[in-house]
Amino acid sequence: MSFASPIDLAALALFAPIGMALLLAAIPGLRRHGWPAAWLSVATALCTLIVSILLLLRVDVDSGPWVATTTWLRESGGTVASVGLRVDGISSTMLVIVALVATAVQVFSLGYMKQEPPSAVGRYFTYHSLFVFSMNLLVLAPNLLQFFAGWELVGLTSYLLIGFYYQKPSAGHAAVKAFWVTKFADMGLLVALLVLFATSYDFGFDVVLDPPTAIIVTLLMFLAVMGKSAQFPLHVWLPNAMEGPTPVSALLHAATMVAAGVYLLVRAFPLFQQAPVTLEFMLWVGSFTALFAAVVAVVQTDIKRVLAYSTCSQLGYMVAAVGAGSAFAGYFHLTTHAFFKALLFLAAGTVIHTVHSNELSKMGGLWRRMPITAVTFIVGALALVGIPGFSGFFSKDLILEAVAEKEQIGPLAFLVAGAFLTAFYMGRVVLLAFFGEQSPKAQHAHESGPSMTLPLLGLAVGAAVVGWFGTPLSGLLGQSYEFHWGTVGGIATLLGIAGLVLSYLVYGNHQLHPDRSVVLRQLAALARSGLVDQFYARLFHGAVIPLARIVGWVDRYLVDGVMNLTAWVALRASRRLQLVQTGNVLDYVFAVIAGVVLLAVWRIWA
Amino acid sequence: MTLSMCLYLGAALMCIGIYGVLTRKNAIGVLLSVEAMANSVNVNLVAMSRYFGGTTGQLFAIFVMTITVAEVAVGLALVILFYRALQHTTLDEATQLRH
Repeated sequence: MSFASPIDLAALALFAPIGMALLLAAIPGLRRHGWPAAWLSVATALCTLIVSILLLLRVDVDSGPWVATTTWLRESGGTVASVGLRVDGISSTMLVIVALVATAVQVFSLGYMKQEPPSAVGRYFTYHSLFVFSMNLLVLAPNLLQFFAGWELVGLTSYLLIGFYYQKPSAGHAAVKAFWVTKFADMGLLVALLVLFATSYDFGFDVVLDPPTAIIVTLLMFLAVMGKSAQFPLHVWLPNAMEGPTPVSALLHAATMVAAGVYLLVRAFPLFQQAPVTLEFMLWVGSFTALFAAVVAVVQTDIKRVLAYSTCSQLGYMVAAVGAGSAFAGYFHLTTHAFFKALLFLAAGTVIHTVHSNELSKMGGLWRRMPITAVTFIVGALALVGIPGFSGFFSKDLILEAVAEKEQIGPLAFLVAGAFLTAFYMGRVVLLAFFGEQSPKAQHAHESGPSMTLPLLGLAVGAAVVGWFGTPLSGLLGQSYEFHWGTVGGIATLLGIAGLVLSYLVYGNHQLHPDRSVVLRQLAALARSGLVDQFYARLFHGAVIPLARIVGWVDRYLVDGVMNLTAWVALRASRRLQLVQTGNVLDYVFAVIAGVVLLAVWRIWA
Repeated sequence: MTLSMCLYLGAALMCIGIYGVLTRKNAIGVLLSVEAMANSVNVNLVAMSRYFGGTTGQLFAIFVMTITVAEVAVGLALVILFYRALQHTTLDEATQLRH
């Protein structure tokens, strides 16, 4: 295979989606009729997938990073910024993940969006093509500046797709909330870029900095990661983001976009390594998020929100892994998580599609009605729980081992407890949705067409087996990894099984009743009250609005005041000057002659 | 007749002209004063021409006369229009420029 260089392939993977997005944006007819746009977009995604796989094979064979850049901003001193492509183990694998999940999701959407009006379908797929481009721009970025551009673009597509059902006020609010929270966090990345450039004149991922600067830069970058990857306490936007269509949740808010934060951590790991303080902070934030989100997930009644909190929690695992110093563990979990979480969301999507509700109480006993969905969902759940053999098991095991090596009991305890809770809430969802008594709505449920079941089956295979490919993946990243049983992993696995058993006792054969558990009741009340959201509301009313008032006062009375004073003075002065204009010709003549005389006097005496 | 006497005559004519322009209220009076100023320039030109020899100054004097004639023609026409519009020729009361 030598018909194209890796750079050519990467360029194709980047430009095909943007070409399609621009085409669909430029030709309204395609969009309005919906389905041509959909098929074109799916074809582009498929093309991107094929190119990405070819690229990955090439990297596998003769590895080594290929970089092609072109100058973007020039200054007399030299190049300020360049844009281009960087193809290496990390970017090529991520490219495949993005393209694969995007293709699966777009094919799935063909079925899922069938009842939407055609113009909405066209809009939907245009956004999707734009998203694939943005994500690839970010993934292939050779420096942080281009990365930032992609980072913001995925934020934009996230906003557009969350607010896809713009007629619904809650969707609009959710979109704005996601935008605000992530933009607030993105300020961190922007400032980090400025500091980085001011100190080193470089936007590279592996700049060497002096320790204080390194801490500042990495902490600021981590702020952006906390926003994008929904880490506590900036996770609040992710559950609301479930207002978007379910395939969008699968692609953006589970598999790829939220993983961009972790991707940044892995990409810029040489930077983060220079700041042990930041790594320590990441370890704590990540592990706390992993536990916190798992706790909240236990009491959610909306199937998508369970999965959303689960995504928060799993992203916490990845962040904690990088914080523990093992970027590979985090990246491995990113890979496996992309498969099983996209699968879980899509399977949940088929359920929602046929039951017409997100509420777990409206489901139940669905496995008879929709066996493929049930089986694939269970495969995803087992992978997420970390049952040996399924993909999540390997990556979670590696993370726990990496954290255990740090010999810090707090984060490790959080993560192990999180593993137990993960099993419990996933067991709960599976039992409530697919087993037990059929609710009235669930009785008319039915399996969906092949465009929805095929992506499920494909992703299920991935979710089951991708964990076995840890060793080649580590090779691509220049690491060496071999699976072996460890104490921590063993304990976590046992706890996971215990969690499943407990969930069976509570929700399966009703040995324990959920409403009788004081802990669960209290938790549910607490989760419903939305403590973090309330905190932000307080902060907003207590600090942001008063600050805005002060700024408003300064603007109104000081900034505008100076302007108004200038205008007032000019007005008064012109009123006075007006008196000179008598309109009498003789006065003007007098002025002319007086001027001449003055000039003459000045000429003679000076 | 010496050069300085001629220049004094020119200066006197100029002062009379300026005085007239500034003090006359009547438009025709002002025009007459302007003519006096123009002629003071002519006196100077001719005197200088005689003093230094050559004819440039005299030619210019004729040139100035021609232009003054044209100017007076336009000026008188304006005065007539002025009178038609306002029924008088008192410049002090012509303050329409203000509006």
